[in-house]
Amino acid sequence: MARIVVDPITRIEGHLRIEAVVENGKISEAYSSGTMIRGFEKILKGRDPRDAWAFTERACGVCTTVHALASVRTVEDALKISVPKNAELIRNLMFCAQYCQDHVVHFYHLHALDWVDVVSALSADPKETSRIARSISKWPKTSPGYFSDIQQRVKTFVESGQLGIFANGYWGHSAYKLPAEINLLAVAHYLEALEWQKEIVKIHAIFGGKNPHPNYLVGGVPCSINLEEVNAINSERLNHVLKLIKDAMAFVEQVYIPDLMAIAGYYKDWAAVGGGLENYLSYGDLPTQGYNQPDSFKFPRGAILNRNLNEVHDVNGKDSEEIKEYIAHSWYKYAGGDKTGLHPWDGETEFNHTGPKPPYDFLDIDGKYSWIKTPRWRGNPMEVGPLARLLVGYASGSDEVKDVIHEAIHALQVPVTALFSTLGRTAARGLETRLVARWMKGFYDDLLANIKNGDTRTFNDERWEPDTWPKTAEGVGLTEAPRGALAHWIRIKDKVIDNYQLVVPSTWNASPKDHNGKRSAYEESLVGTPVANEDAPIEILRTVHSFDPCIACAVHLYDPDGKNIHQITVR
Amino acid sequence: MSSNKAPRILVLGIGNVLMGDEGVGVHVVRLLEKQKLPPGVVCLDGGTGGFHLLDEIQRAGQIFIVDATVDGAPLGTLRRLRPSFSSDYPTTLCAHDIGLKDMLDSLYLLGTPPNVTLYAVSISLPQDMKMELSPELEEFVPGIAIEVLEEVESV
Repeated sequence: MARIVVDPITRIEGHLRIEAVVENGKISEAYSSGTMIRGFEKILKGRDPRDAWAFTERACGVCTTVHALASVRTVEDALKISVPKNAELIRNLMFCAQYCQDHVVHFYHLHALDWVDVVSALSADPKETSRIARSISKWPKTSPGYFSDIQQRVKTFVESGQLGIFANGYWGHSAYKLPAEINLLAVAHYLEALEWQKEIVKIHAIFGGKNPHPNYLVGGVPCSINLEEVNAINSERLNHVLKLIKDAMAFVEQVYIPDLMAIAGYYKDWAAVGGGLENYLSYGDLPTQGYNQPDSFKFPRGAILNRNLNEVHDVNGKDSEEIKEYIAHSWYKYAGGDKTGLHPWDGETEFNHTGPKPPYDFLDIDGKYSWIKTPRWRGNPMEVGPLARLLVGYASGSDEVKDVIHEAIHALQVPVTALFSTLGRTAARGLETRLVARWMKGFYDDLLANIKNGDTRTFNDERWEPDTWPKTAEGVGLTEAPRGALAHWIRIKDKVIDNYQLVVPSTWNASPKDHNGKRSAYEESLVGTPVANEDAPIEILRTVHSFDPCIACAVHLYDPDGKNIHQITVR
Repeated sequence: MSSNKAPRILVLGIGNVLMGDEGVGVHVVRLLEKQKLPPGVVCLDGGTGGFHLLDEIQRAGQIFIVDATVDGAPLGTLRRLRPSFSSDYPTTLCAHDIGLKDMLDSLYLLGTPPNVTLYAVSISLPQDMKMELSPELEEFVPGIAIEVLEEVESV
């Protein structure tokens, strides 16, 4: 029996440490720990609630828009503000652009290297890569010369000894199953995706004034619509947005999805690994009739328990019995004691680090071992993210969701239960990107139609002035970040923030065990995962990366040990 | 959105302004923005870096990055570096260093290696969660800004 440590496990923002116990080649127990601390709640207290979005948006350099959206919604909910139709549509467009960019970057730049062997790509036959590319897609860049150029460029990079972004791969590991030619195809698209992703986020700059960190506004969106005006959202800018949307649809349909299906075809055994929890939670998003009409959302709201797709439970962020955060294994203390659960409106952020002093070999898993709190829905651990969204959509009867799922499982010739897995989670992310890209076009058409009908309102100023506010107010802003259910809770008192709490997607997925010893999503999904080589636990990376871990916002902001943990350490 | 005319020189502040001294790069760039800058110079608050900045960096002929580092040198020490690869960069804070380095490596793979001058400002750990710089580091900011401005002006 050995305990493997992978730290950090994220390729991007944040710190996540996994300790896994391996017995007879399989993981028998796992511990997920956020090793950085967050202090957002403290920084927001006493500030103007209308400014909160600008602070929370800085929680992460990756999904910069989602915290801003959750924040303006929570303030609007508290102050009973509804936003104009155009504002809803523009927020939806920014949401969809964020999803397309984030999911593509996740697939190619953060997750693909768990499945794609970059070094193997160097020995590929570019002619054969060209033939394969043409057989799975009508994407134009497929000549043998194109792939041979890419191969040469990667070769030069690798031979320079500067593996850089490729430094953390387990190249040559027996778990890599793709032919060299498909590895080369994926590497070429890794580079194309980089160039493409910088275009799609221009939608944020057009509607939000700048990127990264576009502007948001309580009561609407901070841009004016005037088709003839140079500085407004005019015909030229709208045409630019349309082009970006069409390019996004083409990239998703002709590059991302064919690659996903081609790669998945070689890893069908991963449809039986990493299923984890059997409960799924989605707050839902993309309103079409206002934020207070969840029935109108493109992504429905609801919870699924025990994988029962015949029943979708209602979810209410305001019900103090539904969502509670626990700290039995987290480095915090509650006034009411360690076994108490607190609804976020009553949330407390009192640090209580009891962990080992560095350098240490292992966490104290019997005590507290993470900076992440443990949220529960009606006492249940829940998985959040693309798979949860699609399953709630499926169980809610969305035909669009059902169609993309059925098409994919038919093409891969796997049963629908294959979704409950590491592979299913990764596939779900791609499938929902297809939907989101199509919906983005729909929201664009609706925006144009609304403007042509003479409605150019983008801001509701009725409750902008603090003297129109009640003495106290409380609100909740629910959204779906690309990584899953995200919510902000606010209490406003005497026109300033009295309490502000965030429960982010990775809090649900990456949290430690609860007061009853029940595992959260990462930990549960790792149990049963085979590990062929304890010195190169690529299987752990596959499953944890399938959740798209990014815990900068789950546990901002610093490494309390002050050490530079910038390598994967395997003991 | 910036104008269609491609900026020639990009001055990029990297850091998280929620994290005290860690945001020093952004504070320096905010100060520079208020100065009279030569034509073609664009200042950008790059936040914590990452792939979002690829377009801005590709459009710039020359890039000056101001970032915090934890290298053990006294607080406010300014180092000027001409890094070639990501491994040449000093240790920055864990919260964002991977994003920026990943992106710079990607530029090599894309066949468009950037011309980067890096100003690394030494800070210490841990940093509390606050918007302001420490008074000790704050004193260095105008001097750092002048240093960067003089080099930008001489290009």
